[in-house]
Amino acid sequence: MSHRLGMFRMPSAQMRGQGLRNQRIHTHLMEMMLHLKQTIEKNLMHLTTRHLQQDLVLEEQRHSQAASEQEALLGHLMYQLVNLLQSGAMGGLGLQPSCPSLDVRRDVRGGQWAQSSRQPDWPVHQLSDPEATFVSQHLSSRGIDISALYHSSFQDYKIYQRDKYHEDKNTMGFINLGLSENKLCLDLMTERLSQSDMNYIEDALLQYPDWRGQPFLREEVARFLTYYCKVPDQLDPENVVVLNGCSSVFSTLAMVLCDPGEAFLIPAPFYGGFAFSACLYSKVELILVHLDSEVTDANPHPFQLTVDKLEQALLEARLTGKKVRGLILINPQNPLGDVYSRDSLQEYLEFAKRYHLHVIIDEIYMLSVFDEFITFHSVLSMESLPDPNRTHVIWGTSKDFGISGFRFGVLYTHNREVASAVSSFGYLHGISGIAQHKLCRLLQDREWIDKVYLPTYRSRLQIAHGYMTKKLEALGIPFLNRGSGLYIWMNLKMYLDPCTFEEELLLHRRFLDNKLILSRGRTYMCKEPGWFRITFADKPLLLKQAMHRFYQVLSERKQDLIMKQLENAQRE
Amino acid sequence: MFTLPQKESKAPTTCPGPASTQDLDSNHGDGLERECSRKPDWKLPEFCGGGDPTATASSDSSHLSSRGSIIKWFWDSAEEGYRTYHMDEYDEDKNPSGIINMGTSENKLCFDLLSRRLSQSDMLWVEPSLLQYPDWRGHLFLREEVARFLSFYCKSPAPLKPENVVVLNGCASLFSALATVLCEVGEAFLIPAPYYGAITQHVYLYGGVRLVCVYLDSEVTGLDTRPFQLTVEKLEMALQRANFEGVKVKGLILINPQNPLGDIYSPGELRDYLEFAKRHKLHVMVDEVYMLSVFEKSAGYHSVLSLEGLPDPQRTHVMWATSKDFGMSGLRFGTLYTENRDVATAVASLCRYHGLSGLVQYQMAQLLRDRDWINQVYLPENHARLKAAHTYVAGELRALGIPFLSSGAGFFIWVDLRKYLPEATFKEEMLLWRRFLDNKVLLSCGKAFQCKEPGWFRLVFSDKAHRLCLGMQRVRQVLEGKSQVPDDPASCQSQESGNQRTGGETPPGVL
Repeated sequence: MSHRLGMFRMPSAQMRGQGLRNQRIHTHLMEMMLHLKQTIEKNLMHLTTRHLQQDLVLEEQRHSQAASEQEALLGHLMYQLVNLLQSGAMGGLGLQPSCPSLDVRRDVRGGQWAQSSRQPDWPVHQLSDPEATFVSQHLSSRGIDISALYHSSFQDYKIYQRDKYHEDKNTMGFINLGLSENKLCLDLMTERLSQSDMNYIEDALLQYPDWRGQPFLREEVARFLTYYCKVPDQLDPENVVVLNGCSSVFSTLAMVLCDPGEAFLIPAPFYGGFAFSACLYSKVELILVHLDSEVTDANPHPFQLTVDKLEQALLEARLTGKKVRGLILINPQNPLGDVYSRDSLQEYLEFAKRYHLHVIIDEIYMLSVFDEFITFHSVLSMESLPDPNRTHVIWGTSKDFGISGFRFGVLYTHNREVASAVSSFGYLHGISGIAQHKLCRLLQDREWIDKVYLPTYRSRLQIAHGYMTKKLEALGIPFLNRGSGLYIWMNLKMYLDPCTFEEELLLHRRFLDNKLILSRGRTYMCKEPGWFRITFADKPLLLKQAMHRFYQVLSERKQDLIMKQLENAQRE
Repeated sequence: MFTLPQKESKAPTTCPGPASTQDLDSNHGDGLERECSRKPDWKLPEFCGGGDPTATASSDSSHLSSRGSIIKWFWDSAEEGYRTYHMDEYDEDKNPSGIINMGTSENKLCFDLLSRRLSQSDMLWVEPSLLQYPDWRGHLFLREEVARFLSFYCKSPAPLKPENVVVLNGCASLFSALATVLCEVGEAFLIPAPYYGAITQHVYLYGGVRLVCVYLDSEVTGLDTRPFQLTVEKLEMALQRANFEGVKVKGLILINPQNPLGDIYSPGELRDYLEFAKRHKLHVMVDEVYMLSVFEKSAGYHSVLSLEGLPDPQRTHVMWATSKDFGMSGLRFGTLYTENRDVATAVASLCRYHGLSGLVQYQMAQLLRDRDWINQVYLPENHARLKAAHTYVAGELRALGIPFLSSGAGFFIWVDLRKYLPEATFKEEMLLWRRFLDNKVLLSCGKAFQCKEPGWFRLVFSDKAHRLCLGMQRVRQVLEGKSQVPDDPASCQSQESGNQRTGGETPPGVL
């Protein structure tokens, strides 16, 4: 019980300052007013256009649906405004601003939300997301938090789902370059998965499976990883656990390695899904190891991870009484695209060993390294792991094979205890036997992977990446050029004035208004405002359209900034 | 003669719901220990040796968290029976003296029909949207199909709505998600016992939610009209007791048709239970996973979705899956139907962890859409085969003079072997279970279902004739104290043909 209380008392670092808090609420309000204004305008526009098209029944239906959605949104916004005002009024009580409101949408802050809201005197229902607020009579408080977090984290995604860009049918729809999804090889995958060997049914596939994954699939995964991770010895299928996606693998690892309120170290910026997973089910905290973009003696490359930084973050966390159980590494890194050298990897692992930390290594982009001069080193390729019983590797087919809808994730660990504990969750994260068969066939087809799929995939990645980087260069936008992953980490700081996260959010909104979804640095816990991640693993036509919208927003923004500067100059 | 196994034995179950987790009130090993010492009579019998999570939790494990150790215990204890079985699985040709599984509730009678249907060309369809990130509630085309399917087979008064449907990878996940979004850690659901024991694990692993048993009796007394009858009085009493003990109960789990009893609730009974829940503001989770496996027409099954005017629609959540009714437990497809949008949204928020492959979603939609095949081929054939298998096993039991319960639904018979226990203890029950296993037949014992009376066993009959026959032969051997007699497959074959002669309508190759 004691550590649970400790957890309640832990405000996150960025929330401690009262001044900062007020400032945040202020921006919340500003943001909402803005959004409210836009929504009302849109609503009015719909009303007027509706008159013009009344004869078209279909149009009518669409419009009334849109209108009711807008009305609902208006309701939400009003409600949030009231909440924020109330929370502002209660400022003296030392309360923190609401978690998932519009301002922090797509924002993830580690494990704090769910726990803090369970504090007895915390007015959750007032401060939580309005959608969730209405349901408090039916849901548990963690249920409310889960709903609210989901709602806030996937709002853009929901908008996108309703209004997707299509080159013929919906040219005005949203283009989503915020999601890291590999859409370059859907033709190849569709063709391969349609072949007759995929459609196979046998009794065993329809029966209760081995909850760790069917033996035939675990054997194939072991062979596959042995080959592509260049493992010195054959990997053991008994060390493989197969679940429905890497999020599930991480979620179960967090459950079995940490008790609630305990923590993992993670270098930031990082893929926000980890923060999401850490707090949804497992209530684990993430201690951020902040990396800097600026190059100094101690930081020879932008955002370089060093053992010093790891050590410092760990010791600071320990000073506050936090129990740190592990370190999360993503290699190739998301969103930076960094590929760790063998030596760096060794150092990080040695560091973890020194402090008895588990290391969870997410290698989900391991086959998505497209620069031939860069060599990816899987942690499994190391001759001798510093602490094999505390090293746990995650891989899946979502990115490397572009089949995120397949729901397949793998854990490889030498630690049988951990593997068994994770297997207890097999029931809750099982994959269909039929899908397991298809995956096995896919991973088995080395000929196709090596001769058809990977060469095509990588050359398409190269082309798309080349196109995107050229555009960015032409715009004079600094970015990291790392040769791996499906995305580019770029710096749009020069379009922010002042350089704050509020401005970053405003810029993000401008992209949204222009039907372009990017993901902003805040979502990755980047400590410097102005960074954005843009996905390039999509069709050339779509990229072209997206870059057009991107350019439009930035040039408008530039105009605004110039105007602002002129006004300032005049005033002086 | 059998002696007590020297080595520790573990929970005898193929459904990993260890008996002890009633006692788990929190994620913490120390809390558990306290709970156990406070209520000594709740403590696990020592013969369930490995079944004590505290032992594992407090053991020197440098790699797992304390909750991780408890979680691991679920795996280890569940595996024991299963592992023994898997190491020595019966196979007609390769391992005729292997273990016959009459413990796992799986329908193995219709693989021929299912394989044929699932191999048809319409099933092999791949399109990009199926390969990409889905709507986490399930693809719309599938939710629409599920709504139509349930409207039809549950006989709902009005068409069900796709937006009230959430699709995930099995009912286990659904229990887990519902427990998490409806309860805080340490809160509880009421559940009439005996019940399908795996639910204990499902609600506990992530949710930290416990189950409070509403114990039912085999003896018919008072107002009861049948053994193990669930009544509102019993529900009230269990709820009061829980309140008295300071356990916060948030909901009630009903399984209809019931597992392991095979009971079917009448519309009147259902309504009574729902009214009870409404009075106490309890959520009701109705698990209807056997709804199409009612093979006696006279049984008269009613889905909760068929009721006109649910007492508390916002707190009524229905679960269904293809695992049982379509004999595809390996397919991992389950669905929630709830009018409560907030519950649906909250569950969907967790679906990121419980999603199923887009290609499989497509196949399920195709399957559920094929009403001709379901109504004219699959269901009649499945029911006939279930009935034949049931008739055979029931006949065998009658011949042995063994009392049993069965209402013409589900895959199992709830068998009363109390007279075979020298003493009415769970220790003796376990010994008998082990004698069955030693004689190469796996059953599930009552303890695994939280039955409060020792001596009940669940016997699964939904298997092919030759396996059933051999299984029953081995059961008989144990009960007649002749279990070390080597198996004689030849005699089984003659029995089988004998049965075919008597069971007129039995389709060839089934019984």
